[in-house]
Amino acid sequence: MEPIRILLADDHNVLRDGMRLLLERQPGFTVVGEASDGRETVDLVENHQPNVVVMDIAMPNMNGIEATRRIVEKHPRTGVVILSMHYDESYVLRSLKAGARAYLLKDALKSELIAAIHAVSEGRSFFSPKISRILKEDYVQALGRRGGDDSYELLTDREREILQLVAEGKTNKEIANRLNLSLYTVDTHRTHILQKLNLHSVPEVILYAVRKGIIS
Amino acid sequence: MRQRPWLVLVGGFGGLLLLMAAAETGALLFLHSLRHSGTSLEAHFLERNRTLEQIRSNIYLSGTYARDSLLAPEASGAKAQIAALENLKRETEAALDSYAQSLEPEESAPFRLLHSEIGAYWKVLDRTFAWSAEERNKYRFAFFYEELIPRRTSMLQIADRIARINEDALKRGDEKLGALFDRLQLGLVAMIAITLLGGAALAGLTIFHILRLEGEVQRRLEESVQARASLQELSAKLVRAQEEERRALSRELHDEVGQSFSAVLMEAENLLDLEPTTEARPRLESIRAVAEKGINEIRNMALLLRPSMLDDFGLVPALDWQARETAKRTGMHVQVSSELAQDLPEEHKTCIYRVVQEALHNCARHAQANTVQVDVRRETGRILLSVQDDGSGFDPQRVRGLGLMGMEERVRHLGGTFEIDSQPGRGTRVNVALPMLDLNGNGSNGTNSHSAG
Repeated sequence: MEPIRILLADDHNVLRDGMRLLLERQPGFTVVGEASDGRETVDLVENHQPNVVVMDIAMPNMNGIEATRRIVEKHPRTGVVILSMHYDESYVLRSLKAGARAYLLKDALKSELIAAIHAVSEGRSFFSPKISRILKEDYVQALGRRGGDDSYELLTDREREILQLVAEGKTNKEIANRLNLSLYTVDTHRTHILQKLNLHSVPEVILYAVRKGIIS
Repeated sequence: MRQRPWLVLVGGFGGLLLLMAAAETGALLFLHSLRHSGTSLEAHFLERNRTLEQIRSNIYLSGTYARDSLLAPEASGAKAQIAALENLKRETEAALDSYAQSLEPEESAPFRLLHSEIGAYWKVLDRTFAWSAEERNKYRFAFFYEELIPRRTSMLQIADRIARINEDALKRGDEKLGALFDRLQLGLVAMIAITLLGGAALAGLTIFHILRLEGEVQRRLEESVQARASLQELSAKLVRAQEEERRALSRELHDEVGQSFSAVLMEAENLLDLEPTTEARPRLESIRAVAEKGINEIRNMALLLRPSMLDDFGLVPALDWQARETAKRTGMHVQVSSELAQDLPEEHKTCIYRVVQEALHNCARHAQANTVQVDVRRETGRILLSVQDDGSGFDPQRVRGLGLMGMEERVRHLGGTFEIDSQPGRGTRVNVALPMLDLNGNGSNGTNSHSAG
């Protein structure tokens, strides 16, 4: 099996070194490059074609979110793991909208980092349990205050199944194959789900799924 | 010249009034005395004239009595006439004495002559009383025509002279009075002139003084306006500097200190991977735990100083975060709705963010509110913010804390208006309007509504 090619993007040298050391020891991982700012990261992705980019948000010369957007735009198969100090949902949502698949906090354990890299290299999402917890708590709290009109209750079992698959990053085709449905049916279900939950994009679906604890 | 203005005014106007009062009183007194001396002059003249007339009539009368007494054959037969003559003599003496009291210098010579003539006349008359009957018969007519008549004529002539002199005196007195009137007129004209000049001078001085005072007041006003402006500028600078400091500190904590803790964490993980001894493992795990805790603390401190979303994503995400944090911390339900097509200039978003932060702080701390509605809207040329709570409210006329003043100050710096609408028991509404130029017209109005709590 080919090793997972990883690019590290962080403006903090010591942290990058530590991370490289940590990841290189893992079987099946290889670190192909290091970048210390957003622009360099975009360039190095061109040169090294990594499977996964581990990206900090706060970087000079283009932040990690913008760099993610550019990378995913050109290389949709590249999985981006955001590794950030920020835990607010505005950062999570914007990272997801930019195309990142995983969001980790910088106090993440080694095991989380490894799990996230594996997940995004397979096209799945991954979130720090802490992030999932915070997002879930905020959501539940907001729901409670608002009087508990949880639109999730409006979804059918089939729709919930599809919601989970969409949130996991599956394409319509993959979902259709897996559930033995026509592409058209999956698309209709998907439209209904977005309408019922008042969501507008896949990143919002992912965030919603994390909040609801459907994925983590 | 640094006198107190009221002193100058009181002195000037008081002096002028005194001058006028003195002039009028003087003129009145003078007029009064003039009239008085005119009357007394006339009375004097009349009195003297009357005395003179009496003397003259007495002399006439004495001639008549003397003739009658001489016509009597014997002195004894003319007793009544002699007695009447004696009487006339006394009266004339008295009149002469009284006239002598107020003798004019020009009269003294003729008067003395008259006096001696009269004295001689009486003596001549007295002699006739002692005459015997033949003597009477013999000298009667001669005495009458040659002695008595000429004497009487001479005396009357002298009296006439005196009367003329008296008239002259009256005329002179009248002339003197006329001269006095002229003097009075001159004096009055002079007084009026002085008063007018004094009034004009005083008016000029007063106008000058008032203009100077006005200039002074204007200068002071400008100074104080300038002072206030520079004070406001200073305060705005301080606020900006504080915000800059917070931003720098927040970034530094987040990007440098936080990253260092992350690095420590990562290295601890690395060491744990190297299969440390059973003694080292718990120490390394402790290091990892401390670093993890440090990262969380640094992150929270940085957010409290200035949330990074404000700079990274703009006002609305920062307000949303603030709403969620407040909701989590206090249990209030905080609803944020915003209609902002694009993000605001740095100063505007910082101002609104800090005002909302302070308002939420007040809602939680003082108002015991359950629900807070934060509303940010963009209108042509301005941004409107309102923060409405359903808490206990207060009387904005009486309560004005440092927090409210700080909010108002921030808004003022950007030329905006700040008002608080509240009543005890009726909740509180903070309204802010910030003027803002439309940078590129009205784009599409994105509407967002988020809630937390």
